[in-house]
Amino acid sequence: MAKHSIMVIDDEKIVGDMAKLSFEQDGYEVETFLNGEAALERLQEKRFDVVVTDMKMKGMDGLEVLRTVKKLYPGVKVIMITAFANLDVAIEALRDDVHDFFPKPVKIKELKASVKRALGEE
Amino acid sequence: MQKSFFRRIKEVLGHDSAAASDLAARFLDFQAVLDGNNRTLEAMTEMGEKLGGDYLFDVNYTRSAYAALFAAISDSLRHFTLLTDNQYPRLAEVLARIDGLVQRMLTGIEPISSRLVVFYPEITWDMAEEVGGKNYHLAELANTLQLRVPEAFAITTAAFSDFFCHNGLEERLEGLGSADDGVLAELRGTILAGAFPEDFTASLASALETMRLRLGRDGKLAVRSSAEEEDGDFSFAGQFETVLNVPCTIEAVQGAYKQVVASLFQANAMSYQRQLGYDPGKLKMAVGCVAMIDARASGVIYTAAAGKDRGRMAISAAWGLGPGVVDGLTDADLYTVAKEEELRLAERRIGAKAQMVINSGGDGVETKETPVELMGRACLGETEILALAGQALAIEKYYKIPQDIEWAVDNTGRCYFLQARSLRMDESAAEATAKNIEAVPDSYPVLLRNQGVVVQRGTTAGKVFILHHIDELEHIPKGSVLVARHDSPHFVQAIPILNAIITDIGVPTSHMASICREFNIPTVVNTGSATEVLQHGQVITLQAGEGSEVVVYEGIVQSLLREARRTGAKLRELYEFRRQKYIMRYIAPLNLVNPLEQEFAPEKCKTVHDLVRFMHEKSVQALLANAGRKRRGLGGLFWHPGALRRLTLPIPVQMQVIDLGGGLRGDGAGKVTGFAEVTSVPLRAVLAGMLAPGVWQNEATALRGVDLLSGMTRAADLAGEGAAVLENVALASSVYVNMSLRFGYHFNILDCYCSETPRNNHIYFRFVGGAAAITNRSRRIALMAQVLAEHGFALKAKGDLLVGRISGQSRQEIEGILEQIGRLIGYTRQLDARLDSDEMVNTLARRFLAGDYRLAP
Repeated sequence: MAKHSIMVIDDEKIVGDMAKLSFEQDGYEVETFLNGEAALERLQEKRFDVVVTDMKMKGMDGLEVLRTVKKLYPGVKVIMITAFANLDVAIEALRDDVHDFFPKPVKIKELKASVKRALGEE
Repeated sequence: MQKSFFRRIKEVLGHDSAAASDLAARFLDFQAVLDGNNRTLEAMTEMGEKLGGDYLFDVNYTRSAYAALFAAISDSLRHFTLLTDNQYPRLAEVLARIDGLVQRMLTGIEPISSRLVVFYPEITWDMAEEVGGKNYHLAELANTLQLRVPEAFAITTAAFSDFFCHNGLEERLEGLGSADDGVLAELRGTILAGAFPEDFTASLASALETMRLRLGRDGKLAVRSSAEEEDGDFSFAGQFETVLNVPCTIEAVQGAYKQVVASLFQANAMSYQRQLGYDPGKLKMAVGCVAMIDARASGVIYTAAAGKDRGRMAISAAWGLGPGVVDGLTDADLYTVAKEEELRLAERRIGAKAQMVINSGGDGVETKETPVELMGRACLGETEILALAGQALAIEKYYKIPQDIEWAVDNTGRCYFLQARSLRMDESAAEATAKNIEAVPDSYPVLLRNQGVVVQRGTTAGKVFILHHIDELEHIPKGSVLVARHDSPHFVQAIPILNAIITDIGVPTSHMASICREFNIPTVVNTGSATEVLQHGQVITLQAGEGSEVVVYEGIVQSLLREARRTGAKLRELYEFRRQKYIMRYIAPLNLVNPLEQEFAPEKCKTVHDLVRFMHEKSVQALLANAGRKRRGLGGLFWHPGALRRLTLPIPVQMQVIDLGGGLRGDGAGKVTGFAEVTSVPLRAVLAGMLAPGVWQNEATALRGVDLLSGMTRAADLAGEGAAVLENVALASSVYVNMSLRFGYHFNILDCYCSETPRNNHIYFRFVGGAAAITNRSRRIALMAQVLAEHGFALKAKGDLLVGRISGQSRQEIEGILEQIGRLIGYTRQLDARLDSDEMVNTLARRFLAGDYRLAP
């Protein structure tokens, strides 16, 4: 069976690096991006099962990433993480069919559980 | 005497309101220090958890979390300064330096210091980045551990930056990521042909002049790399060039410097850096210039013999210079030393040592045949081996993890240390222990499940060692699981040999908890009953997960240990992750452990945790001293009506109580109050003990002539200053009491904070004097010491003086101990005259602890 693939978008390198390392340990294929634009470009070439994106980024923000992904690739699950958690953003993300929403710092174990749910593994 | 007494009264009464408000203000400062310390410790715990590898975090998080921590410790320091009348101005400097270091980590801005060359004795605790890991550790061996290290100086990372800038190399470092071997070779060529900035040459020339003065004209240097993290978390072993036997001339050292620095860009070194997550070209290198030792023999010590147990160290030795051993050039001697109570040479394997490396007559070194008379002869005698092992053990103890140490012995027999770095064990300690425990049970009964709070996660196995007294720490075998009633920062001394810690009582923010996290010792506190459920010597496997996911199995569960090794191993290879985590180095480690030691001083504080510990201890002392001063002038103590009241008790004790807030019920209109009105938790507890049935010794005691005489001559010196106005007095708030009791010729001082936050709580108890002869008085002290030791007090006794302290207990426990102290105060009141033998001390102490207060033999 092919590996499930995860895309991680965060403008801070450390977040992507840590996520990549953690998910790879569990056998996922992971690619990381520092901005939404580059990530969406890559999505045109390759299908990912789950997108984990930061909310607040320079250029395209997480909500925009979410909307675009949902529009172009409705089957792809999107998980959002943000250091500036507020209810309004969360509600908006929910409306746009976000799979899950976490404040940062996020416990890696919880993020992994959420990815599993997104993939129907749990 | 009379004159001074009246003058004192006058002084006190003349300053009524000032004294009163001063004490009240100080008490508020004291509470503010505790509050600030608590917030600091909570922030520290939170940061430690979030940066520990279980969370995805970004740099914004680290910044805001640190800002909260800094605000808390600053609050604490501000109130501490007021409380202690600015007695410790150095603390503000320490905090500023720590803040500078953390900010540098957070912002990635270069060190402010622009020093290009620093001699080892000038290298201080905050210079790790400037001088690189290898220089830093070697200097630490000399400066802190007072071990012999050759004369040496460091060429800093600032000098490195200057050199690169001067030669226009900075741009070349950008985009090195995709550089092939050709590009790297070209870069190395440019470095080797590089010129030195004037300042650099001048600083180096001056340092070399100093070296020539110290070593003589023919003195030679080893020029070695000391990269940022070298010999820290990562060894960089063998990655960079070392140039040996370099003359102390500017040309020669500059040539060697360029060789060493160029080696940063060797293909192997570049791939090692990539593996550690460095952006290529980002790593800066300091360089060490260390005097060459004309070595008779040299070698390496592993303070934990790799692949075996931690209880043995391995020393390899060869004739001549170090490369003989480190580069595996020759068949070296191998000595094994057992780390027992006394070090013991356990095994000696003498190598043939057909070749040896020596200083060549000119520059450099050469490998030659070992002279026949030396071949097959041991390089070191037993005395030398054990002396070396002893020093190596001191290094391991200091760094708290096994060490990989390079050493050399010169022709006069003097031993020098050339390097010390953490030893990465091939197997986890847990597995090593598991292999050494022979009997592996077939099934694994669960002994504890989901009890307690996990302080440090992890899975490990070992033999249970139930600790009853702090003294037993020295006897804990390697690889044990320490099981104790309470946690204690004293456990730090055993941490290098422990596999895990489990306590009945404790909190995840204690000093001990921080230490366990720092050293990744799986730790569970507050299990309630570990000391009862687990048996001394029992072999267990501890699985500590999140929160209270705790399982203790009987036996070794191999599958769990294997699982534990597989996960979480690579995170430390992310550079940015390590950098954020390194911030904790300036925050969490606790260096100040024992307040009774000389090391307990402001200048020894290196971390935020040290500051918290220091301020806590000194705040208690300041409050105690202040309360003592104010007590002597009763007129100055009440700042609101009804604050001062006479306590009437059904025992022959007269006591004044000064209410600092919440200590007494009612408005005190009558100025007289009973036990029922006491609302101060600690005062109530100690009084309850004093009032306990059967405890109060009322029988008339026959004092012998010698006792009477002794009592009369001692009255004056015992009473001390201001004794004429001294009564039994208690300063009390809802959570605090400071009381002073005088019975005839002896005095008790009790200072206690007893709140719902265990780490704020302390008891300080002091007892001095008596009317009987000194032998009897000392026996009474011995009896009290026995009782207090049973409750975990740290004690100091001398003659008829006893000082005991304990801290970190829960409110309930403090109350229990205070009741016992109350009973002890009543019980020992006239006991000294009756203690005719040492046996009687033991008998009565045992009885007292069993609740039997009879004095009759």
